[in-house]
Amino acid sequence: MTDVKIDIQPDMTTEVTATERADVRSYLRQWAMPHVLCPGCAHGIVLRSFLEAVDQLQLDQDKIAMVAGIGCSSRLAGYVDFCTLHGTHGRAPAFATGLKLARPDLNVVVVTGDGDGLAIGGNHLIHAARRNIDMTVLLLNNSIYGMTGGQAAPTTPEGAIASTAPQGHIEPGFDACKLLMGAGASYVARVFAANPIEMTKVMMDGLSHPGFAFIELVSDCPEYFGRYNKIGGGPEMLNWIAVRDEGIAGPLSEKRFVEHIPVKPPAIGVKSGVLQREIRPVYAGVRAAEGQHT
Amino acid sequence: MSDNSKGLLLAGVGGQGVILASMIIADALMRAGFDVKQSEVHGMAQRGGSVVSHIRWGKEVASPLVEKGSAEVLAAFEWAEAIRWVDYVRNEGAVVTDIKTIVPPGACNDTHAWSTAYPRFEIDLFRSRLIETRFVDATANAVQLGNVRAANSVILGSVAAFVGIDLIHWEEAIASLVPKGTEEINLAAFHAGMNAPMAQIPAPPAEPAEYLGPHLIDIQQDWCKSCDICPRVCPEHCLKLDTDGTLLVINADACTGCRLCEMLCPDFAITIRPPAAAEHHEPAISGRKM
Repeated sequence: MTDVKIDIQPDMTTEVTATERADVRSYLRQWAMPHVLCPGCAHGIVLRSFLEAVDQLQLDQDKIAMVAGIGCSSRLAGYVDFCTLHGTHGRAPAFATGLKLARPDLNVVVVTGDGDGLAIGGNHLIHAARRNIDMTVLLLNNSIYGMTGGQAAPTTPEGAIASTAPQGHIEPGFDACKLLMGAGASYVARVFAANPIEMTKVMMDGLSHPGFAFIELVSDCPEYFGRYNKIGGGPEMLNWIAVRDEGIAGPLSEKRFVEHIPVKPPAIGVKSGVLQREIRPVYAGVRAAEGQHT
Repeated sequence: MSDNSKGLLLAGVGGQGVILASMIIADALMRAGFDVKQSEVHGMAQRGGSVVSHIRWGKEVASPLVEKGSAEVLAAFEWAEAIRWVDYVRNEGAVVTDIKTIVPPGACNDTHAWSTAYPRFEIDLFRSRLIETRFVDATANAVQLGNVRAANSVILGSVAAFVGIDLIHWEEAIASLVPKGTEEINLAAFHAGMNAPMAQIPAPPAEPAEYLGPHLIDIQQDWCKSCDICPRVCPEHCLKLDTDGTLLVINADACTGCRLCEMLCPDFAITIRPPAAAEHHEPAISGRKM
């Protein structure tokens, strides 16, 4: 097995002109809109960036299979006009593995949340990464269990208030990217929902990556996390996640998403960008079973 | 000037190395036995603002500031700064300027078309006062030597002839003041500047495209959930949330088409159309029926 390390960030310089851009709403299931997500929830911003990435890569709608588990983030699969599969809690990577092995021609995308992917389905996620199944995993991290009422999740930062941690969470939060790097994911990136252009570029990069691509999207939950921690609604939460973005090298300055919106703690900085990229053999079970080793 | 001292002005933009260059000149002059005084203005320099440094030298200098119309030479690191400070140069003096262009934020006079009013390069601009203009491509020279940040040493080399002190003083001053490890390249840049030929004047920038009008803000009201993100992020304050939660376009003419509202709308409720496309309204989006 040869590990080829490429330390190149995706090209952030290319601009897409307005005339080349399609209306990404044409990728939505119109009859299902507007979606159920709460006002100001950044999951919608992530979905939009994903659709722009699909549009710019000119992927065939019928060749994309979006597999989801349970949770707010997993609801996104219900609104896109691709092949979609809404599975059981935490098992989206398992469904996706089976799907990819049976239908290698499909572009398999898993959309999962921090609770779905790291707590209930942590096991499935790390083994899909270890096998290097050719799929793209979008993990929307909103730091809390949003759909079930704001319980503390594995990613809830220490000190944050949740419905099951009314005096502040006593456990440290999870670093999903470090976990997946340890599990052997060949592509690991983290992007912030407050940076839609960077999100689109990294998603294009991840969708084009041969092998297991894991993208953590730092999203938010204004309804529970923002309310319990007295941060505020959608705009304030976007600001809160934007100030945590440290880029690849560490904090540049005290940047604010919107200057006049104050930032309240706890806001722990995390690195963003492409954190790992390597090319290694992709698990191709069907071919292996037929004895056609590649 | 009554004390028979001579003056020199350095002007540039924050980050170009104006201050270091003026320290080197002052140091070289002191090594040559002159009394030297130096003073600089670098208020907003870190944000790309104007930086100017005055140097006066002679047998005895009382004040560091160069009087208007008395400097021997103006060393400009940028063409617009050369024009800004040329008043300080004496008649029959000289202006040595890099042909680099840095458009100051204030020169952008149209936030729609982003057109700028940057002065054109004209060798005869200061001819009425018999001031000689010398264009140097310091940036290209420094890049050729391997480090664009040595451009200030190229300018130093080009103004050395006007100061009239021995080369050894310059070399000692550069070696002692530039950051450790860059002595060699800065000395090479200095020598390149001494021998730099008159630079080719770059072609004027293309005229900006015609302004077609503001972009069209299309709001799909039945998808909007009044989350207040778009009014808060719009840099031009085009949008406003009404008291009943309806999203209003209050300043349609100001839209520059940055698409922040569109990209940050979690509910796909905003679409920004460029002015050309806005004329022939696209039909309602046609999603596939399930």
